[in-house]
Amino acid sequence: MKEKLLAILSEACPEVDFETETALIDDGLLESLDIVMIVTEIMQEFGVELTVDDLLPENFNSVDVLLALIESRTA
Amino acid sequence: MNFFSLSFLLMLAGSLLLYYVVPLRLRWYVLLGVSLGFYLLGGVSAGLFLLFTAGTNYAGGLVLSRLNAKRASIPAERKKEEEQRIKSHKRWVLILDLLLNFGLLFMVKYWNFTVQSLSGLVGALPTVDWIMPVGLSFYMFQSVGYVVDCYRGKYAAEKNFLKFSLFVSFFPQMVQGPISRFDQLQPQLIQGHKWNADHVKYGIQLALWGYLKRMLLADRAAVVVNAIFDAPEQYGGFFYAFGVLFYCIQLYCDFSGGIDITRGVAQMFGIDLAENFRRPFYATSLADYWRRWHITLGSWMRDYVFYPLSFSKPFAKLGRWARKHFKGKVGKVIPTAAATFVVYLIIGIWHGANFRYIAYGFYNGIILTSSVLLAGTYAKWKKALHIRDKSPFFTLFCILRTTAIVFVGRYITRAPRLLLGLQMLRKTLTSPCLYQLGDGTIWNLGLSLTDYLVVALGFLAMLCLEWKQEKGTEIRKTLERKHPFVQWLWLFLPLVLLCIFGIFRDSGIQVEFIYQQF
Repeated sequence: MKEKLLAILSEACPEVDFETETALIDDGLLESLDIVMIVTEIMQEFGVELTVDDLLPENFNSVDVLLALIESRTA
Repeated sequence: MNFFSLSFLLMLAGSLLLYYVVPLRLRWYVLLGVSLGFYLLGGVSAGLFLLFTAGTNYAGGLVLSRLNAKRASIPAERKKEEEQRIKSHKRWVLILDLLLNFGLLFMVKYWNFTVQSLSGLVGALPTVDWIMPVGLSFYMFQSVGYVVDCYRGKYAAEKNFLKFSLFVSFFPQMVQGPISRFDQLQPQLIQGHKWNADHVKYGIQLALWGYLKRMLLADRAAVVVNAIFDAPEQYGGFFYAFGVLFYCIQLYCDFSGGIDITRGVAQMFGIDLAENFRRPFYATSLADYWRRWHITLGSWMRDYVFYPLSFSKPFAKLGRWARKHFKGKVGKVIPTAAATFVVYLIIGIWHGANFRYIAYGFYNGIILTSSVLLAGTYAKWKKALHIRDKSPFFTLFCILRTTAIVFVGRYITRAPRLLLGLQMLRKTLTSPCLYQLGDGTIWNLGLSLTDYLVVALGFLAMLCLEWKQEKGTEIRKTLERKHPFVQWLWLFLPLVLLCIFGIFRDSGIQVEFIYQQF
């Protein structure tokens, strides 16, 4: 699951090292356009429902917290 | 009352004195009293608009908060059906609140324009002669944002109407924003702040910097801008570009200067208002520019328009359609590009009821949308040309390219009419009339050599300071490390400059800010 997510993230923002970054939003590495594209792709690929309420910095700062969000919706 | 009047400065001094002498828990009453007084001096009708906004959004937030609490306490056996019912109630409350608020804004700001534009289609409809009160769209957006947050359950509603009224009417931001968020501003307003000499000193510094930008640069630049745009037939294409350059200086120094005064005044009370500008002249793309210019409007649009729109059912449908018909990344970005376009169109319309602003929204929307769609192509070009993203030359190229895009957009917003603006742009490129450079035209625009020097040197000094900030220097902290004499010198330097160069027109100070009308 993590590999699939990393592939989605890297396709949206090839210049960001998602393996190591832990402040993607706080450091301004992900912008609103990227977030919308990533979330749309996640919903498509993982078949989960994410809403505007999920668009919080703490859900997008690292690949691990994003993974946790997806897992909480697939559980 | 305005920021440039003696009565404002006296009122500010009096309110600061009163604020810091009354007990901590009563200090927010002082802010409320001063805020209401400040606003009501604008007339009874202005007060009624404020009361309407505060009343509807206070009630909306309260009802939504109660529905949220009710939803949380539903027993498990009835959860599904009850949740649907409450969700539907919440939606209707939100819709009603939005209709009331934006309906009023539409009537005041856009009704006459709509009636006149559609008169050929629907015949003559009555117009209204309401005068738009100062700051209406700023405090309305701020209040509506609060209601949407209550709808999303981000925080509980404010139960005290007076406290909520202070959030809506806090006086420094009533003129032209910034558009604050409830959870960031309200606790600061209600919690009394203890006297802190540093807060007052920092506040005075920031406000003086704002006065300096406005009175030294914006007011002078405005003279040239008005001379050229009031009688464009007298000038050739070069002077149109000259006018737009001065308009860029005027607009930035007017708006950001006003915001510096606003934030400085708030800081004197120990209150930190949201940042509204982050050195937009150093933006490397149009999207970056909009993240640096009028930041609080941009973030409001992102959270309350762009995100909901992007995740709405019609856009999800558009996404499925796009993926089916376009392969690769293009198919994936079409809904985002479409939402971006809509947002920038709304931002254009927000500026005013005029075809110029609608065109301006289109202009920004088209460029931003195409940059989303063509991002992959640009990346390939950069790779083929061996361009490094962080190389200084490429950064400079990006800054100049963004400046050019913004510059062209300003022709549209400043010209008296849309078509005239486009003609002026065309003439800049095709008929510059360079002979006017040598025939003394420049001295007939209303500024003397000294005034031109003040604008040029002042603007360059501002750009240099902003460049240092861009590179990570914190000017205030750097100053703190200097000898106290140097610190005081920096505090008084703006005052001295204001005294020497501040008021330069016989007619006195232009009291209104450009963004006040929006």
